[in-house]
Amino acid sequence: MANTDPIRVGVLFSRSGATSSVEYSQLLGTRFAIQQINDAGGIDGRELAATHYDPECLPQNYRLMAERLVQDDRIQVIFGCYMSSSRKAVMPVVEKSQRLLMYPTLYEGFEFSPNIIYAGAAPNQNSAQLADYMTRHFGRRVYFVGSDYIYPYESNRVMSDFILGHPGGAKLAERYVRLDAHERDFVSIVRDIKERQPDFIFSTVVGKGTRMLYQAYADAGLDPAKMPIASLTTCEVEVSEMGRRIAAGHITAAPYFQAVDSHCNHDCLQHFLRLYGDEVQPNMCWEAAYFQVHMFARAMQQSGSDEIGRLLPHLLGSEFDAPQGRVRIDPVTHHTRLYPRVGRVDEDGRFVIVAESKIGIDADPYLVHHAANEWSIRSVALGEVSA
Amino acid sequence: MRVMVFHPKDADGELLAQQLERIGCQVITMWPPLLELPDTVDVVFCAVRPDHAAVRPPWIDGDPPVPVIAVINYENPTVVDAVLRLGAKAVLISPLRSAGILSSLAMAKHQDAELRELRRRNARLEQKLLSTNQINAAKAILARTRNVSGDEAYRIIREQAMSKRTTTEEIARAIMHADSVLSHTPRASR
Repeated sequence: MANTDPIRVGVLFSRSGATSSVEYSQLLGTRFAIQQINDAGGIDGRELAATHYDPECLPQNYRLMAERLVQDDRIQVIFGCYMSSSRKAVMPVVEKSQRLLMYPTLYEGFEFSPNIIYAGAAPNQNSAQLADYMTRHFGRRVYFVGSDYIYPYESNRVMSDFILGHPGGAKLAERYVRLDAHERDFVSIVRDIKERQPDFIFSTVVGKGTRMLYQAYADAGLDPAKMPIASLTTCEVEVSEMGRRIAAGHITAAPYFQAVDSHCNHDCLQHFLRLYGDEVQPNMCWEAAYFQVHMFARAMQQSGSDEIGRLLPHLLGSEFDAPQGRVRIDPVTHHTRLYPRVGRVDEDGRFVIVAESKIGIDADPYLVHHAANEWSIRSVALGEVSA
Repeated sequence: MRVMVFHPKDADGELLAQQLERIGCQVITMWPPLLELPDTVDVVFCAVRPDHAAVRPPWIDGDPPVPVIAVINYENPTVVDAVLRLGAKAVLISPLRSAGILSSLAMAKHQDAELRELRRRNARLEQKLLSTNQINAAKAILARTRNVSGDEAYRIIREQAMSKRTTTEEIARAIMHADSVLSHTPRASR
């Protein structure tokens, strides 16, 4: 007898708290993919249904709600988490209960769990390319500013290594602000930036602090054409929060921007716009949340089960035509082959892609292969071709 | 054994304290770490949570007076560096299991004791080497200035040390110092 019960999956993204804006976009990316899957007949005729809890950006809530999903709701697969602290909170829950977490967010690398799939960029898929682009176009004297937790510490360490590996590379300062920072916390930092005149600013400020940093920068009259802020996390969501005037000219490295020029992306964005309007701005984290659900659905279609032991063999090594390109989940690392890009915000507040990799780059979470020349970026626009 | 556990009061912290008590330790848990370690502690378990906002206890950078076992929740270089800087002799990774705590404790104590002993011997050997060099230099000076053999020179040094109730090293240094003063020739004008 065929099973017609809905397939329940867990979803853990926050609706309030420091990083809720981008997490809400990941929630909608997840729901969007589920909608598409159900519109196409579901998985083997079974409807895919999300059980969503809102952890309010508190790591302890991610753990409690993951436990609730696993024990009470008997969920096998969870899509969720943005900050590393939230992933760390969920990890023991999925490992102990043999469930799966699909994690759609860039992070600091140096991790593997048999119970996690990592769909976001590791440092060799964003930091390396950003360092390469920025040192070639702006210089090597860098001012570091970030939020006060492990992801910025480690990202700054990786970026320092890349920068200081070049002759003339220099770390002018390294400043941290609390996740719940106020406007005034950035004023002294920007004043210091103005004095030291770096070639560029590397920012790992996440969440609501992003707008504050860029605002303080603009208020100080600094010029993004000469001394831009370079980020791994500032995406279309933060840009829409800060407004085009403040965002224009600054740079982000990510596998996905709305500007990705493919049929797949154009169709996807059109469809999303029809269903959700301008509720959220599609971005790299939204895109990862979106494609990972589709990859899950495909794998489950083949396995007939969402139990991790039966699902994982079909998920690992699988490929999918995501909006960013054809992605692949690596069976050894559980990370995903992605398409590194560098984007600059234009006067209209939209990311323009100024460099992109035509080939997918596999994740190297433990930075085993560390040579800078192994990552090649092809510059787009005006015939610029990278080394 | 008296164990200080610096760990936030969460599932890991509780598991650690309970297991340590199970294996017969007296445990005190607190967070954040104390700025000074109390004398009455035999071993410290310390959560390593890199935090630029926090004040760093002075014992965290390098040479803690008792064995330290680090408890970490990430394995990236930032955290691993912090563990090494702490001078930890063993490491546990979150989520903690009861299994592994006893062996880490044993290993840390052993490594710490062995390292202390090696350092002590090293210091003694370095001192001995320095003395030997000084005595040889003094012997050479005496041999040159008093025209005596090396053995005779050493006898002189030893006699001086005994009569002045000091060490042969002291006498040797005095001889070296005197020699450098006495052999100093003022710059002759030409």
